[in-house]
Amino acid sequence: MKKTLSLLLAILLVAALAPSALAEPTKLVIAARGGSHVDVINAVKAQFEQENNCVIEVLGLENPDLKQKIALDSRNKAGAYDIVMLDDPWMPEVTEAGMLLNLTEKGYQDDADFVPASLALGKAPYGTGDTFALPFAGNVTLLFYNAELLAGAQVPDSWQGVLDVAKAVNAQDGKVGYVIRGQQGNPIVGDFMPLLWAFGGNIFDADWNVLVDSQQAKDALNLYIQLLANGANYEKNDIVSSVADGKAAMSLGWPSWYISGKASTAGYAKIPGKVDADSAENPAGMIGNWLMGIPANTQHPDLALQLLTYLTSADTQKAAASSGAVPTRISVFNDEALAQEYPFYATLLEATQASRERPRTPRWGDIENVFGIELSNAISGIKTVDQALADAKVAIEDVMR
Amino acid sequence: MRAALPKRPVKYLILSLFLVWTLFPIYWMFSLAIREKGELFGALSLVPRSFSFEHFVDLFKTKAFGLSIVNSLTVTLISLSLALALGLACAYILARARFRFKLKGAMLFWVLLLRILPPIAFALPLYILMSDAGLLSTKIPLILSHLLINIPFIVWFMITFFEALPVEVEESAAVDGASEQQLFLRIVLPQVLPGLTAVAILSFMTSWNEYLYSAIFVQSPRNFTIPLTLSTLNSEQELTQWGNIAAGGVLSLVPIAIFVLFAQNFLIAGLSGGAVKE
Amino acid sequence: MKKKSNALYAYMMSSPAMLVLTVLSIFPLLFILWYSLTDYYYLSTRPPRFILFDNYAKLFQDRYFMQALGNTLRFTALAVFFEVLLGLAVAVLVKSFKRGQEALRTVTLLPTLLPPVTVALIWQIMLSNNYGLINNLLGLFGLGPVNWLMDVNTAFYAILVIDIWQYTPFAFLLLYAAMQGIPQGQYEAASIDGAGRWAQFRYVTLPNVLRNVLMVTLLRVIDTFRLFDKVNILTKGGPANTTATITQYIYHNGVNMFKVGFASAASVVMTLIILFLAAGYIRQNFKAREKAGR
Repeated sequence: MKKTLSLLLAILLVAALAPSALAEPTKLVIAARGGSHVDVINAVKAQFEQENNCVIEVLGLENPDLKQKIALDSRNKAGAYDIVMLDDPWMPEVTEAGMLLNLTEKGYQDDADFVPASLALGKAPYGTGDTFALPFAGNVTLLFYNAELLAGAQVPDSWQGVLDVAKAVNAQDGKVGYVIRGQQGNPIVGDFMPLLWAFGGNIFDADWNVLVDSQQAKDALNLYIQLLANGANYEKNDIVSSVADGKAAMSLGWPSWYISGKASTAGYAKIPGKVDADSAENPAGMIGNWLMGIPANTQHPDLALQLLTYLTSADTQKAAASSGAVPTRISVFNDEALAQEYPFYATLLEATQASRERPRTPRWGDIENVFGIELSNAISGIKTVDQALADAKVAIEDVMR
Repeated sequence: MRAALPKRPVKYLILSLFLVWTLFPIYWMFSLAIREKGELFGALSLVPRSFSFEHFVDLFKTKAFGLSIVNSLTVTLISLSLALALGLACAYILARARFRFKLKGAMLFWVLLLRILPPIAFALPLYILMSDAGLLSTKIPLILSHLLINIPFIVWFMITFFEALPVEVEESAAVDGASEQQLFLRIVLPQVLPGLTAVAILSFMTSWNEYLYSAIFVQSPRNFTIPLTLSTLNSEQELTQWGNIAAGGVLSLVPIAIFVLFAQNFLIAGLSGGAVKE
Repeated sequence: MKKKSNALYAYMMSSPAMLVLTVLSIFPLLFILWYSLTDYYYLSTRPPRFILFDNYAKLFQDRYFMQALGNTLRFTALAVFFEVLLGLAVAVLVKSFKRGQEALRTVTLLPTLLPPVTVALIWQIMLSNNYGLINNLLGLFGLGPVNWLMDVNTAFYAILVIDIWQYTPFAFLLLYAAMQGIPQGQYEAASIDGAGRWAQFRYVTLPNVLRNVLMVTLLRVIDTFRLFDKVNILTKGGPANTTATITQYIYHNGVNMFKVGFASAASVVMTLIILFLAAGYIRQNFKAREKAGR
C-alpha cells in the first residue's frame, strides 16, 4: 500500500515537473484572449507553420489574466511569449514600460489598408509615434435595436430621439425602452462614454485637465439617468437576450456579442453623435480593438514579425470572418462576397471611422475604476449628478497626480 | 419528548423549507446542465423539457475540461500528500509535552498566524519569487501555495487530535522499547485516523476549489485547474454559455461529493472527536 | 541523554514543515512590509524609491478604501452572525430527528462543497433581472422584477444571502459534530428535573457547544474577511461601491494596476485588522498551548 502510494506520488511529481514539450524546431507562443480569437488563430496557423518550419502554440487567457500575465512576463530576461494580444487601452501602460518591440525600428512599414482609427491605436504616442502593435480584430460599440419594437420608426440619430423612442416603448406593457449596462467599473464607463462624447464632453482636455464636471457631462449624465428611468439596467447576457427577443428596444453594445443572432429582428446602427436634431454631430462610438504586438524580450523577433504580418493580413481576416472576427482592413470590409454575407460590415466600417478612443494614459484602469464608482453613485441616486461628477473630478485628479 | 405532537408538523415544515432553500440552487445547476442548448433561452421551466449531454461533451471537446480535471487532481493530490506528511509530523511534535526545544513557542505562534493572515498579502511577493526562480511554467508554484494554505490548517487541527489521545499508551510502549518513530507510526497515527480523514477531506476541498492563487500563478491553459477553466466560461466579450457553466459546476462537485458520501462517518467522528473541541 | 535524542527527533520531524512555511511566508511578509514603504510600481523602468509612510497616508485618505473596509467589516459581522445562528438551529433540528440524520447532513453539506466561482455563477443565473427564476416567481405574485445585483438597496444583501446559503451548512456540520459528543446522560438528568426543550437547549446543549460556537465564529470571520470571488463575479464592487471589499481593492491596485507598493500597504493594514479581530483568540490559544507544551 505504502509502496503503491509513493509510486503514485512519484509519477504525479514527474508529471508536474516535466517541461511541457520536447525539443522542437522553433516554437512560437501567442498569448491571446480566450474564446473566438483563439479559434481564429488556430484555424489559420497551419500554413505558416508549414512554410516556416515552426510550431505555433496559442494560449487563450481571460481579459484581466492576459494583461497581468503579459506584464509579469515582461520582467523576465527571456520572455515566454512571442506575440501578445492587447486590449487597446493598455497601450500607453505597455509601451511606457518598454514591454513591446518597436516595429517601425524593426523595419515594419505601415500598411495603408488598415482603418486609420485602428492603426493609430498601435502607435506610441497615440496616432503619431512609431508602430508597436497592429490591429488584429476590430470592434466599436454600436446602437443595438429591435426593429419590431421600433415599429417602423427610423432608428434615432440623436440622443433626444433615443429618449423619445424609449419613452414610447417603455409605456407598452412588459416592454423596456432602453437598457443601460450600468454595472460599476468597466461596463458603466464604456456604456456612458458615447453619450459624453455625443454631448461634446470628454474626460480630459488636450492638456490633461479634468473635464468630467463640465455642463456637457452633466447634461449627458442627466439624459443617461432618464434613459434608465425609461428602461432597465442589465448585465451583458441579459442585454443581448432582451433586445434579441423583442423585450427591450435599444441598448449599446459590442457587435461581437450579437454575431450569433442572425435570425432575430435585432439589428445595429451607428451610435447617435448628436444631442438633438439641431445640434452638431460628434464621433461617439467607442473603439475597442484587439491589437497584437511582439514582446521586447522575445527569443524570435524576426519570425514573430513575420507571423504578426501574416495574422493581420487581409487573407487571414477573410478566413476569420466566419468565426465572428471583426476585420480591421478596409479591403476586407469592402470585399463583395463578405459584404453579402455580413450586411452589417458597412455599418461597422462607418462606425469605426467615426469612433473615438479612450484617453491614452497609463492610468486608464484607475480612472475607469473611480469614474465607474461615481457614475454608479449617480444612477443609484446616492449622489446628485453634480455631486457625483464633482467627486469624480477630484478622484481622477488624484489618480493623475 | 413532551409536547412533541403539536410541534411535529412545524418541525417538518421548517426542515422542508430548509432543504428546499439549501438544495434548490444545486437542483437548478443540474437541471441547466442537462437541458439542450435550445431550451436555455428566455424564461425557463422549473422542470427540464429536454435532456442532453451536449454541454458535457462540449466541455471536453472544446474547453479541454479533461485536462483541467487531470491538472486539478495532480495539484490537489501532490499538495495534499506533502501537506499531510509534513503537517502531521509537525503537529505531533507540537502537541506532545515531552518534546521540548527552543523554537517550539515560536513555531506554534507562526502556524496559528498563518491560518489567519489574508492570502492576497502573500500573492504578489510569492509571484515575484517564483518568477525569479524560473518556476512559472510548471505546476510547482501552485503546489507550494496550496502547501502554504493547507499545512497550517492541518497542523492546527491535528494538534488537538493528538492532544486528545492519552499519553499513557505511548509511555507504556516506550517502556517496551519502541523508538520514537515506531511510537508515532504504529501507536499514535492509527488512533487519530478519523480526525486525519476529516482534516484530509477539508484540505482536499480547499485545494480543489482554490481560485485566488491559481488565477495569479498559473501561466498557461495547459496548467489550468477546474476553477480557472470555469471562470473563463464567463467571458466579458462573448455571451456566457450557461449550460457549460452548469455542467462544469456539476463535474467539479463530483469528487468531493464522492469523498463526503463514503467518508462521512469518519468526517463526523473526526470532527466531534476533538478538533472542534478547541 | 534521552532528552537530547528526543530534541533531535523533534527537530527532524517538525523542521520540514516549518522550513516550507518559513520560505513561503516569512520572505513574502518581509517583502510586503518593505514594499509598503516604497513607491514600487511593477512596470516601472527605474528602481523603487523609499517613501516612508506615504502609501499609508494615501490609503486612509482614500474614501473608496474606507468604504471597502466598512463594507467588509459589516459584511463579516452580518454573515458570520447568521451563519452561526442558523447553523446552530439546524444542528438542533437535525439532531431531534430519530432517523435520517446521516442523509440530512450529507445533502445539506452540498453548498459548502461547491467552488465559490460556481456558486456565484449559479446565483447570477437565478437572480437575473431579465429572465431570472426568482424574478419570474415574484412575477407570479405580481411583484418585481427586482434588480437584485444592481439595485443599491439589495446588492449587498443579495451577496450576503448567497454567502449565508453557502456557509450555514459548514457551521451546521461543525456544531452538529460537537453535539454528538454531549453525553446523553446530561439530557436525561435535565429532563428528570423537568426541563423543557428550550431549557434543555439553554442549560445542556449551549454550554456544551459554546466553545465550538466561538471556534466556528472565528473560522468564519477569518474566511469571510477575505471575501472576493463572489463580489468580483457578481457586482464588481458596485452599485455605488456598496459591495467593494478589501481583498478586491488590493487585487485591483496590486494585480490589475501593478502598484505593488501601494497594494502592499493595503495588505499590511488588512493583516493588522484581522490580527486585531483574532487577537483574543490567539492570546488564549497560545497561552493554553504554551502551558500544555512545556
